[in-house]
Amino acid sequence: MSVIELDGLEVRLGGRTVLDGLTGQLHGKAIGLLGPNGAGKSTLIHTLLGFYTPSRGAARIFGLDTRQERARIRQRIGYMPENDSFIGNMSGVRFVRYMAELAGLPAGEALERAHEALFYVGLGEVRYRKINTYSLGMKQLIKLAQALAHGPQLLILDEPTNGLDPVARQRMIHTLQEIRKQGEIRLLISSHLLRDIDDTCDEVLILKQGRIAALSNIEDERRSHRNFIELEALGSIDLFCDALRALGCECASFPGGRVKLIMPDAIEPHDLYRVAHENRVEIRRINSRHDSLEDIFLRAMEAVPERRELVGI
Amino acid sequence: MSVYKHEYRAYAGRLTTPLARIGVLTRYAYAEAWASRITTALFVVAFLPIVVYLVGIYLANNPLVRTIILRGKDSFISIDASFFMRVLSSQCWLAVVLTAWVAPRLVSFDISDNALPILLSHPISRFGYVAGKFTALFSFLSLITWVPCIGLFGYQAYSSPVLWAGSHLRIGAGLLAGSLLWIVVLSLLGLALSSWVKWRVVATGVIFAAIFVPAGIGGIVSAILHTRWGFLLNVPVIMTQLWQRMLGAPQIMAGELTLPTGAIAAVLLLLCALSVAMLNARIRAREVVRG
Repeated sequence: MSVIELDGLEVRLGGRTVLDGLTGQLHGKAIGLLGPNGAGKSTLIHTLLGFYTPSRGAARIFGLDTRQERARIRQRIGYMPENDSFIGNMSGVRFVRYMAELAGLPAGEALERAHEALFYVGLGEVRYRKINTYSLGMKQLIKLAQALAHGPQLLILDEPTNGLDPVARQRMIHTLQEIRKQGEIRLLISSHLLRDIDDTCDEVLILKQGRIAALSNIEDERRSHRNFIELEALGSIDLFCDALRALGCECASFPGGRVKLIMPDAIEPHDLYRVAHENRVEIRRINSRHDSLEDIFLRAMEAVPERRELVGI
Repeated sequence: MSVYKHEYRAYAGRLTTPLARIGVLTRYAYAEAWASRITTALFVVAFLPIVVYLVGIYLANNPLVRTIILRGKDSFISIDASFFMRVLSSQCWLAVVLTAWVAPRLVSFDISDNALPILLSHPISRFGYVAGKFTALFSFLSLITWVPCIGLFGYQAYSSPVLWAGSHLRIGAGLLAGSLLWIVVLSLLGLALSSWVKWRVVATGVIFAAIFVPAGIGGIVSAILHTRWGFLLNVPVIMTQLWQRMLGAPQIMAGELTLPTGAIAAVLLLLCALSVAMLNARIRAREVVRG
């Protein structure tokens, strides 16, 4: 079963179409939601949470319709909003316990899991302090703790590294990687930072102007371009390229001795050195280039998505 | 999760019912209200009149007091509809003071810290949220209005040497209905106004203003236009008239200034509807962008 299923989802707010016919299925353990500001990322999250009602189409989480089964969906979801959202005059543990009780846990269990969640995210030592005395990084973590405390199946994180310094960001990313590795919770992470998504996600949904610009499995994308090589060499480049083509490589030469090639799976890097030696070519630099998330994102941004159409990337 | 292993552990235990989750909101709202010493002080003050009335009923019904102090004369105070009208009025106006203090504490923290997106992302609806807070405020106000009023009525029925309760059932019913009606209006109004004002102190002032400023305007309208209808804006006047009719107490205001019960009910309904509309507009996880 897919984690999230979008079926021609359209959301109109204030007379403006914010999400326009989104269609697709998301299966990943950690799904990244990318897009420029105003692309509709937060609106999509709020629709999944049942804050907004679709004007057309449907969205389903674990097969449950967001319009008709809000309570059951929210039971299975932990949500970490983008902006500050807490009750400042409560202590950390009291706040997380309150949220866990609202999610349906009995008071005793909620208290126990509030302590555990706070230790899990690294706020164990400050759990009795009032939240309005926390630093920005701690406030992000307390939002994560409350989202985890009731044991959700899907964790929705809206810009989780917003406003964090590099150390706090690294800590947040590490925590998310841990959650993903343990595999009990699916993640949906919205961000405009490609690096955050690259570090944590295995599937990405890219939105542009309220439409799906790309829906792609990051790992598959990387694997499909794993034999893309850039090199710089001295000597008879044309002969070298001819020899590589004879081996089955796609090869292109550029001024300054630069060569770009795609190797078939059967060819190993040491074959390049052998061919270079046979043609008296000296390889000065070699780069094995992966297709980065940035490449995927930029290609998606260049394409103009049509309604209900996924752009091939 | 486990404290010593720092590992995530899914929850597989039992879950509470949706109704119990509304109770969670009520419980935390209660705790928030009682966290302030001013709440305790106001609560104690709200019971002082009850103690005075209790002593009054005791003295009025005590034969020894009548013999020694009053020397056989009739009771210095008659326990009738007028007496209970005074009880009801004093408690209901003290309830306004408590509402102005407590209602902002129940809602303003959630609004000022933008907690609604997190609160409403849990399996609780907007209606459930308002119901939880309403229940907290309603039950809080009950403790100083109809509960002690009915207690005094019961004590009078117990203390009276004659069968008193049977012939004064209208007073008991009036006390209960009048109190309930007032605290429903007050709870809705208090929550609605608090949800629109981020600062608690300002919200307290706004609640007082919402009751007494229209009263002043209504008085001016009535004086200038020589009409009684301006008093419809005067909540203290319309509630006093309504309580008098409910308890069967004599009317204080002149006949030409009395307002029809239907008009009073319409004003109270309008006030409740307006409060619900304000709550509906404000208690949202996200504001809808227009334009």
